Amino acid sequence: MNSIVMKQDASTAIRELLAYLLSSSRVDAVLTMRQVPETGSCDLGLITDPSGMVEAEPFLPVMTANAGQALSSISMSGKRIAAVLKPCELRGFTERVKREQGSFDNLLTISSICGGVFPLEKVISGDLEKLVPRYIEKTARAEAPRGLRETCKACEEFVPMNADISVSVTEHGSLMHLHSDRAEEYTEGFEGERIEARADQSHIDRMMKSRSAAKGKLFQSLEKSSGLDGLVDLFGKCVGCHGCSRVCPICYCQHCDFESINFDYNQPYFQESLEARGALRLPPDTILFQLGRLTHMSFSCVGCGMCSDVCPVSIPVAGIFKKTGERTAGLFDYVPGRDSEEPIPVMVFKEEELGDIG
Amino acid sequence: MISDKHDDFTPRITSFLCKWCSYTGADLAGTNRLQYPTSIIPIQVMCSSRVDPVFLIKAFLSGSDGVLMGGCHPGDCHYETGNYHTRRRFAILKEIFDSLGLESDRLKLSWISASEGPKFAQVSNEYTEQIRKMGKNPTRKSVFL
Amino acid sequence: MAAVLPVGSDLSGAMNRFLKTILEKDIVDAVLMPMKVPSGDSFAWIIMSDSSIVDDAEAMAPVMPVQGARALRSLTRKGEGSIRVLALMRPCEIRAAIELSKLGQVKTENLILAAYDCPGAVPMDSFVSDPSSGEDLFRKMLAGEDVSAGEVKPSCTSCVEFSMTDADLHFGHFGLGGTEVLLIPGSPKGMEILEALELPADRETSIWDEAVRKRREKQVASRDAAFEETGENIRGVQGMLNVFADCISCRNCRAACPICYCRLCHFESETAKQDPNSRLDSAVTRGGISLPADRMLFHTGRMTHMSLSCVSCGQCSDACPADIPVAQVFSFVADRTQKAFEYSAGRNDGDPLPLRSFMKSELSGIHEMVSDAEPGGHAHE
Repeated sequence: MNSIVMKQDASTAIRELLAYLLSSSRVDAVLTMRQVPETGSCDLGLITDPSGMVEAEPFLPVMTANAGQALSSISMSGKRIAAVLKPCELRGFTERVKREQGSFDNLLTISSICGGVFPLEKVISGDLEKLVPRYIEKTARAEAPRGLRETCKACEEFVPMNADISVSVTEHGSLMHLHSDRAEEYTEGFEGERIEARADQSHIDRMMKSRSAAKGKLFQSLEKSSGLDGLVDLFGKCVGCHGCSRVCPICYCQHCDFESINFDYNQPYFQESLEARGALRLPPDTILFQLGRLTHMSFSCVGCGMCSDVCPVSIPVAGIFKKTGERTAGLFDYVPGRDSEEPIPVMVFKEEELGDIG
Repeated sequence: MISDKHDDFTPRITSFLCKWCSYTGADLAGTNRLQYPTSIIPIQVMCSSRVDPVFLIKAFLSGSDGVLMGGCHPGDCHYETGNYHTRRRFAILKEIFDSLGLESDRLKLSWISASEGPKFAQVSNEYTEQIRKMGKNPTRKSVFL
Repeated sequence: MAAVLPVGSDLSGAMNRFLKTILEKDIVDAVLMPMKVPSGDSFAWIIMSDSSIVDDAEAMAPVMPVQGARALRSLTRKGEGSIRVLALMRPCEIRAAIELSKLGQVKTENLILAAYDCPGAVPMDSFVSDPSSGEDLFRKMLAGEDVSAGEVKPSCTSCVEFSMTDADLHFGHFGLGGTEVLLIPGSPKGMEILEALELPADRETSIWDEAVRKRREKQVASRDAAFEETGENIRGVQGMLNVFADCISCRNCRAACPICYCRLCHFESETAKQDPNSRLDSAVTRGGISLPADRMLFHTGRMTHMSLSCVSCGQCSDACPADIPVAQVFSFVADRTQKAFEYSAGRNDGDPLPLRSFMKSELSGIHEMVSDAEPGGHAHE
């Protein structure tokens, strides 16, 4: 595969590429993580002025919002955009494109072999300054840095699936792999030695090993909460804020069904429930929401971990959704975000399948 | 949380039956004076695919001992493909229940055509018996659901 | 004047027994109160008609995971029923319920709103991570022992409405040394309950009055200090930007807010959605924008929508994953917007919602305030 050798570190090289794309008018805007040097606070920036690139931190191990979600409507503006996305953000975006919530038409996607991100609480508490240098060191050696999001530790989809450009950082140096004609076309004229190379497979294998082990551990720990009691243990403290669904790249409904009038009850309902059980939780349907959301989107869950990060009561939402999601997607050999042409399982069917179900 | 396992209770089986097939099948069972248990609480729907799996979960969490979903046989849907979608959604729902260790046997999908009165009676009897063996749904008593 | 409830060893337990009694005697049909969840690290609102379940519940929970007014909203939004429910809640929850009833989202006809002297709440995140320490802390707070302000929910440390709200029935225990609770009726409904229990309201309340007054003095001072600090922090556009710099637009603050009852928030609706092209245009104008966009619009917009009814319960801060002091900012603003109309959110004094009423001659200074302002300068106070 045609690849560009990066002389500097990956962040600097991509920053330069993004600036080049803007100043050569190949794109109208760039989407990337930024960090304000003075305050250390991070956000997703949609940058149009090449001089704004100084704040760009394309590979900052932070996710303030799933960029796939943030990119969604912007991608349909018809303007050309280069977006730096973590693999799960790209997959989340791909799932949104399938739901007509985004478009690849004018998009150049740049992703990288991902070492994972830190939970928001670590970002907010200002630990980033200490954490990031260690992170860079560790990930270059294919080792797992401490303190990452639970679902990042357990993520086996850390190699970008359908990016135009992917970056791999190994102890032997950094490479920019060009996967598409669009990538070739956009990078034309950008300085850097072109070689034929692929990402270092042994590096990927070593990462995979620790990820798979962590995933096994994560799923095993969740298995402890099984059955109805387990369900109440997991979700009993849910406060029903629905923050998990609002930050979810898959949950795109503007007005979630669970917030609709369908889930308002009249007095006979409460009276009957009280007669039947003697007691009822208010507001009702907190646990129904969780199970319901699993039926609505789990097969498309990309395991990005935003939901866990925003949960005010620290429910391991992301782990649960990832674990169940792998099973519901697995029913149809579906991998969320793998390919924008692959239809969402609930939108299609085969006449001959699932013979044992009915 | 109380789990009652009595053999002598009458289960409550919330049943979503499609207007064109399963509900008509139930009607036929009635007009043919076939015996089927009072445990079946029928809800007529226009198509099994109208039923969001959330309805089934709501019935389950509200204390239904079993939840039955009845539709036309694959290929016979009045709206051509509705029941194929139902089948996928139902498979997803079952998988979610299994992944969380919930009793997925309390959910059942059955294809019953308009002419299958005897099948409706048979499915109702067998499923009721199966649920009776499982005992009351513990969700009946949990106050946190 | 008040009736007296003897306590014995355990304050919360005595209140539980009271609630159980009114259920057993059919004085009410159901009671709404907190119950610890099976995992032990939080509480949930449970409405119960079976009096034996009261034993598993807790009259006063250390935390406020869900604002009680939200629970009442879910119960009565679709209309009043025939069951009479007594809800035992914190004063800020009762006040939010009163605001929601003015907004038509809670129907109070068959509700008996009961409050207690609230010592504050433990922040949700610290309770979830260490429930037993949280419970110890709350026990100390209830007993009136000194605890470090940093351990308590920030809104609670500057709450001046911790007692004597417009509840139908109030459980006063401050200053009574944990030996008894005063049952203070605040309405005919509350009086009826006491009468049904044959509890005469014949006790002088001066010791308790004095304890509440003293505590209020302290709280007012700490609130004023908090307002001053917040006022400094949010001054000007840059101040606001700094305070909300870490906002990720999850809208948990809005979702946790008892007053924000809209099913579909304006800021999440199609109306508020900017066309992607003009969004890019504004990025071009500025050289770049932050995504998700419109954070300042959301927060300041929400202030205009709900600050007049803000009860400073602090749920917004508790739910914020970025630790932004949302509640402090909103309380600060609410204090000013409510003062502009001499309105106090949560009072059941027949005052209409300021934004649902007007007087023909009022706010005469508002034009001058605008026209006198120098370009780019501040308007006159």
